[in-house]
Parts: sequence; structure tokens; C-alpha cells
Amino acid sequence: MILTGLLLGAVLGYVLQRSRFCVTGAFRDLYLTRSTRYFTPFLLAIAIQAVGVAALAGVGVIAPEPASFAPLAVIGGGLIFGVGIIMAGGCATGTYYRAGEGLIGSWVALIFYALFAAVMKYGPLGGFTEAARARTVADATLHETLGVSVWVPVIAFSAIVAVLVVRERRRATARPSLRLPARRTGLGHYLADIPWSPWVGGVLLGLIAIAAWVLSTAAGRNGGLGITTPSAKIATFLTTGDVTLVDWSVMLVLGILVGSFLAAKLSGEFRWRVPDAQTMLRSAGGGVAMGVGAALAGGCTIGNSLVETSLFSYQGWVSLVAIMLGTWGAAWFFLQRPQRAAEASRPAPVLTPAS
Amino acid sequence: MAAYTLQTNGSVCPFPLIDAKSAMEQLTTGDDLIIDFDCTQATDSLPQWASEAGHEVVAFDRTGEAGWTITVRKGA
Repeated sequence: MILTGLLLGAVLGYVLQRSRFCVTGAFRDLYLTRSTRYFTPFLLAIAIQAVGVAALAGVGVIAPEPASFAPLAVIGGGLIFGVGIIMAGGCATGTYYRAGEGLIGSWVALIFYALFAAVMKYGPLGGFTEAARARTVADATLHETLGVSVWVPVIAFSAIVAVLVVRERRRATARPSLRLPARRTGLGHYLADIPWSPWVGGVLLGLIAIAAWVLSTAAGRNGGLGITTPSAKIATFLTTGDVTLVDWSVMLVLGILVGSFLAAKLSGEFRWRVPDAQTMLRSAGGGVAMGVGAALAGGCTIGNSLVETSLFSYQGWVSLVAIMLGTWGAAWFFLQRPQRAAEASRPAPVLTPAS
Repeated sequence: MAAYTLQTNGSVCPFPLIDAKSAMEQLTTGDDLIIDFDCTQATDSLPQWASEAGHEVVAFDRTGEAGWTITVRKGA
């Protein structure tokens, strides 16, 4: 039943493409523009998943096993991953769905990400990753330390998110005075024409994350959404032919490509787009950092920041903060600093009088 | 009132927005900045920035598959 992975991945890719959901942007813009436009919906996705997973685990449908906490590997890996996603212009899922939109730079990032995740997990650096991740501390989760039910952090966190969502919704932000003209009518207008709001993206992402637990468990893989391990498995399968590596999660990430391609194509947003050499090189370097960082940290912005956080594991929350700090440092270094310096590495924008 | 074109095709987000902001600083109130872009996320971030920064979006349309143009009139 690993084909359900392909289907759910396609739904995920479709949703991400239509809602322009970008976890990299959510973290980055907290620092660059103090905007919580995508960050609060992302927290909402974590909360929705946390409630769903705790309920399903309670009735025995799924049995999540939170990762053990290896502080050094999680912090170091998270920081490296955070820098990588700024360089690549998108996190792991972001890179998959932009590849589906036809961005060649994202394909470059994706290939290096999968390759270096494989190097770190199944390749020559596998021993190093294992040793780094073996330095664990006693407790894996917050509720374990507190000695309470998982429902205590679930309810407390959901309450905090509810307050943040209400505040965000009440904030009177100016709405753009003009939208893109409609190209479709009826259902098509909603499915493949107008962009979906970050709220639609966040709610659907939370629901998809719950569905992932159920479908993955049914296919014999105990886990939720995951991007890095399947990417490493694809690279390793392609070079070794070891078919046992092809599981539900591999189908999931391939599905993201399919779904985002369909969403982009139907909406007139697919085109092969080639960046300049510098962007291409930066994407490649970003992909390497993403593969190395995610392997060390035990997950990416999905596996750790969305899924492990909903289990209230230390790995999830510490890596979320580490990734965020990584994006902030890299946003300063790659985006703000060159902009402020006169001798920016990119040429200043050229203005030409319109005829 | 003058109109200027900013060509950002080929550059990925958030660069179209970064360039638009710095280009806008060179303009005076009432000038139009015509931004051509092909980064999908900018279909959200550019109009959002314009309205939050007090500029007016006077035109916004597609220029083909995965290509867009937006005209932002500088506010006071």
C-alpha cells in the first residue's frame, strides 16, 4: 500500500504550490520583515497535527515513537540546515515543489540535498552521523521530563496558537487593491486559478500530516511526513538498485513533485526557469548544507519542525529554533549584508524609462 | 509622473521583493514602478508589500506561463 504515499504526496505538493507555503520564508521573514504571515499558519499546522496524533495514538490507531535527543547533533545540524535553505531559496519540501514548478535551481539544490543526505546516512559519513546522533540525553520529550500526559503540552500549545491566530486575524493589514484577473470560473477558479491563503495552506498541511501517520502506518512504516530520509533512500536506490529502500516515504516525496507540477501546470504557473550561474552555485551549496544538516539533526523543517514538534520531542523544538536561527544568520549574510554594502555581489537593479 | 521598469525575471524569491524595495527608494511619490517577475511566491509578496507600505497597485497581470507584471504607484 505504498502507493497511498504517492497520492498523499501529490495532495501535499498541490496544496503547497497553490498556497505558496514556504517554511523558509516563514522563518526568514520573522527576522527580515517581522512578518508572521506564514509563521502563525505554520504553528497552526503543528497544533492541528498534535491534536490529531495524540487522539489517534490514544485510541491505538498509530504508535508514534519520538526521536531520542542528541543535543549537539540537533543544534549543529539545525543551524547548518537553516543556512542551507536560505542559500537554496527553500526548505526540503519547498525545493521539491519548486522543482515541480520548473525551477532548474531547485532541481540542482534537490540533487545535492538527496546526494549528501545519502552520504551522511548510508554513505561514507554514515558512521559519523550515527556517532553524533548517539550522544543522547535522558529524556526524549517534554511531557516525559514533566511526568505528565502528552495532552498537557498538546492543550497548552494549542491554546497559545489559538491566541496567536486570533491576534493575527484581527490585525488590520492592508489588503492589496488589485488581484490577478480570473482565468477560470466555477470550481476551477478555486482549484487552479486564485492563490490559496496561508491559512488554507496551514490547515491543510496539518490535516495532511495527520493522514500521513495513518497511511504510513498502514503501509508498514511507523512515522509521519518525512522528506530527508526518503530523499537519501532515492539517491541510494538509484546507485545500488536496492529495491527494499523504496517505501511509503519515497512515494510521498515523488508525489510532491507530481502534485506541484499538476498545480502549476493547471494554473499556468509552470515553466522551465534557468537562474544565473551564481544562483545555481548557491543552490548547489545550499543543497549540500541541507543534506548534511538534516541528516545530523534527524530531520528537516517537516520531519523535525512540523512532525517531531507535534510529538513535543526535544529534537523537534530544539531543531526548530536552531533552523530558525540558521535562517536568520544566513538572511543577514546573504540578503541584508550585500544589500547594505555598496559593492553588492549582485548588480544593483537597473531602471529603464518605460516607453 | 514617470514610469520605470524593473526586470527581475530569472531571479528567485526573495530577490524580486528586495530589488523592488530598493528601486522604489529611488522614485518620488506618484511615480510608477513596473516590475516584471517570474518567481511564483512574488505573486503574494509583492502586492502584499505594496499595500502594507502604502503604495497603490495600479496594474497586475500575467505575461504568459509563469510570468507576471505588476505596476506599483509610489505612495506618499
